Amino acid sequence: MLFNSIEFFVFLPIVFILYWFVTAKYLKAQNLLIAIASYVFYGWWDWRFLSLIAFSSIIDYTIGLLLKKTEVKSKRKILLWISICVNLGFLGFFKYYNFFIQSLVDSFTLLGQPLSINSLNIILPVGISFYTFQTLSYTIDVYNKKLEPTKDFIAFSAFVSFFPQLVAGPIERATNLLPQFYSKRIFKYDLAINGMRQVLWGLFKKVVIADNCAKYANIIFNNYEDYSGSTLVLGAFFFAFQIYGDFSGYSDIAIGVSRLFGFDLKRNFAFPYFSRDIAEFWRRWHISLSTWFRDYLYIPLGGSRGGIKMKLRNTFIIFIVSGFWHGANWTFIVWGALNAIYFLPLLLTNKNRVNTNIVAEGKYLPSFKEIRQMGITFFITLIAWVFFRADSITHAFLYLKGIFSSSLFSYFEIFPVTILVLLLFFIIIEWLGRNSEFAIENVDFMNKPIRWGFYVGLIVLMFTYTGEQQEFIYFQF
Amino acid sequence: MFKFIRNIILFIIAAMIAGEVVVRITHAVSDVPQRIIDSDGIQKYYPNQTGYSLNGKHTWLINKLGWPGELPNSFDNLVLVIGDSFIENFMNPNDCHQAPLLKERINELNFLETARSGVSFIEAFEIAKQMDTLNPVKSLIYINDSDFYESVKEISEKQDITQLDISEGKVIHGKMKAPGLKKVLYNWKLMYYFYNRFPLNFENKKPTKKYTPKERALKHSQEVDGLLSFIKTKYNIIDKILVFHPYSNKKLITKCIDAGFEVISLDSSTDSNSWTFDFDHHWTCYGHEQVASQVARSLKSAN
Repeated sequence: MLFNSIEFFVFLPIVFILYWFVTAKYLKAQNLLIAIASYVFYGWWDWRFLSLIAFSSIIDYTIGLLLKKTEVKSKRKILLWISICVNLGFLGFFKYYNFFIQSLVDSFTLLGQPLSINSLNIILPVGISFYTFQTLSYTIDVYNKKLEPTKDFIAFSAFVSFFPQLVAGPIERATNLLPQFYSKRIFKYDLAINGMRQVLWGLFKKVVIADNCAKYANIIFNNYEDYSGSTLVLGAFFFAFQIYGDFSGYSDIAIGVSRLFGFDLKRNFAFPYFSRDIAEFWRRWHISLSTWFRDYLYIPLGGSRGGIKMKLRNTFIIFIVSGFWHGANWTFIVWGALNAIYFLPLLLTNKNRVNTNIVAEGKYLPSFKEIRQMGITFFITLIAWVFFRADSITHAFLYLKGIFSSSLFSYFEIFPVTILVLLLFFIIIEWLGRNSEFAIENVDFMNKPIRWGFYVGLIVLMFTYTGEQQEFIYFQF
Repeated sequence: MFKFIRNIILFIIAAMIAGEVVVRITHAVSDVPQRIIDSDGIQKYYPNQTGYSLNGKHTWLINKLGWPGELPNSFDNLVLVIGDSFIENFMNPNDCHQAPLLKERINELNFLETARSGVSFIEAFEIAKQMDTLNPVKSLIYINDSDFYESVKEISEKQDITQLDISEGKVIHGKMKAPGLKKVLYNWKLMYYFYNRFPLNFENKKPTKKYTPKERALKHSQEVDGLLSFIKTKYNIIDKILVFHPYSNKKLITKCIDAGFEVISLDSSTDSNSWTFDFDHHWTCYGHEQVASQVARSLKSAN
């Protein structure tokens, strides 16, 4: 079920009413309702893959309990590895099987020894990368004794399948989300209103910004040979806002919907395009994934404890794995590696934690230095996005060759004024709200009629400039 | 909780009013004319309606006889242009309709369009029979393959389409599907916009066998023979000309010729420009011009 579909607008009020009016007195009933609603939400796409979530839930729940029963290190390690192998096994099969087979065949062909292994017609289960990482966080935290394993299977199932963030994150840690299923939720007016605001802003990002930018990004990327360098830059610019609007929009809706049910999810985006260097960008983009890799991969690998060499090695590993997590294509790996290269100078000069505050905090406008820093960071991110969006490495290089050609300073062949004006409006609102968790969180300074007028205005913009309905990009990851 | 629900309801009402105003001002959905079923069982439109097309680029018009398009200046030397949504043609301005385009090409004849989306082959003959009171000299029936199959109840029963029950030898007139709901939907523009923008998909997703046009013509050959033979006996086919869309099934065309129908077969294969919209299979203004030119050429050569 898509958040921007009529089905969801029927589904959500039904679940909300049942949750607060029918099951509110009984915690177990509330958790059961969430688990059932989540299975309906997911099964709407393809009910066959519900078995994967159910199987993953049973395995990790059982392993959690077994880990509690034993203190023998070797046994505990075996249990941990069973969980890792099962979860990553599913992920590997559904997401990477064809990629590995194709890469193997290509490598042998290159060596003059053609192999004939057939790839399989595998459907990638929506959101598998997200809930796999979420359940893994549970087993690893129980193994590391950071979390008590749960005996409540219903609460655990609801945690694994929690519908607002099931298919595209934020990737929740068991330590943050699971305990919320143990205690009685109380409806809080302010939290619910805040959630509704975040849902509205998320929908605006998706329907108006991402879907409209997608239209032009697709046209330009698919026909890059026909366009000048300036238009190709515009195409990458549109993609940058498509992916931001799409993914952060989804996260906003997920967090907002969770608040309606009394849950508090982790923040996933913190205005990444206002970053002054690439390290800051990565502290602000897909935060739940970056911190997951930091805690469960970077630190176990040694983090930065072993000197500069280990720091560099681990950083490269994190970025390449992160790229690979996004999809079974070399383009994502290059995208990850490129970001690691961007990181390199900051690491070597130990300046990766210089910009930890909010840009131009307490001011309306940034300084020239900040503008320059943000511009450079955005531009290098744009170059990396070309690899992320391109169909192949060749496509990406040809696209970049087209950008850095003599036509870079020629007139745009495509220049959709309305979309650019909408983007400008969006950037201004985001800039003004950058001190908050999401751009329109703190609009209480407006009196009620003006505030409602502003919300209605956003909805009107959605009606008027709604782009062609697209699936959320991150569903495919 | 109750404060929250009250505020949400109030906000939804405010947003819906604002949305309705915006959808109406921007013509985010096209206006839809209201239909009636007349005493002969034929679905047509309430006379003298007008409305905006999608995005308000042009207006459509329902004339006093209850058919889309303008009436000719005279009913002398009248040629009827009968068809479905291709001839109804709400997506193009009035200048791009078959009647004015044909008039431009053959000035001595007058053309009257009698079309409605969903008209089947058998219903086209029912319309022609009703319009005989105007003494047309000819009737052009614009047709494609599916119009034949939709006409036969034995192939697939459809409540909202006029069909022939071959076994009973009876014409069953189409009924309007959910007229009350449609009336609400067409007047509540915001809801209609949502309905178009986010279509509900409750269709059975079980795979069904898809027939190629050739397979379908062979499979339903007997039913089509029954349909043609019924039409030949129950209706006057002398002054009727069947205008087949481009790429129609050749077997069907041959069957019609063999059954004694006069036929014009449209051909877009040599034209490098598309006749249809990118997002819609209906003809563009250019497509309608090409159609009118080919039909006019055939009519002239027949005379």
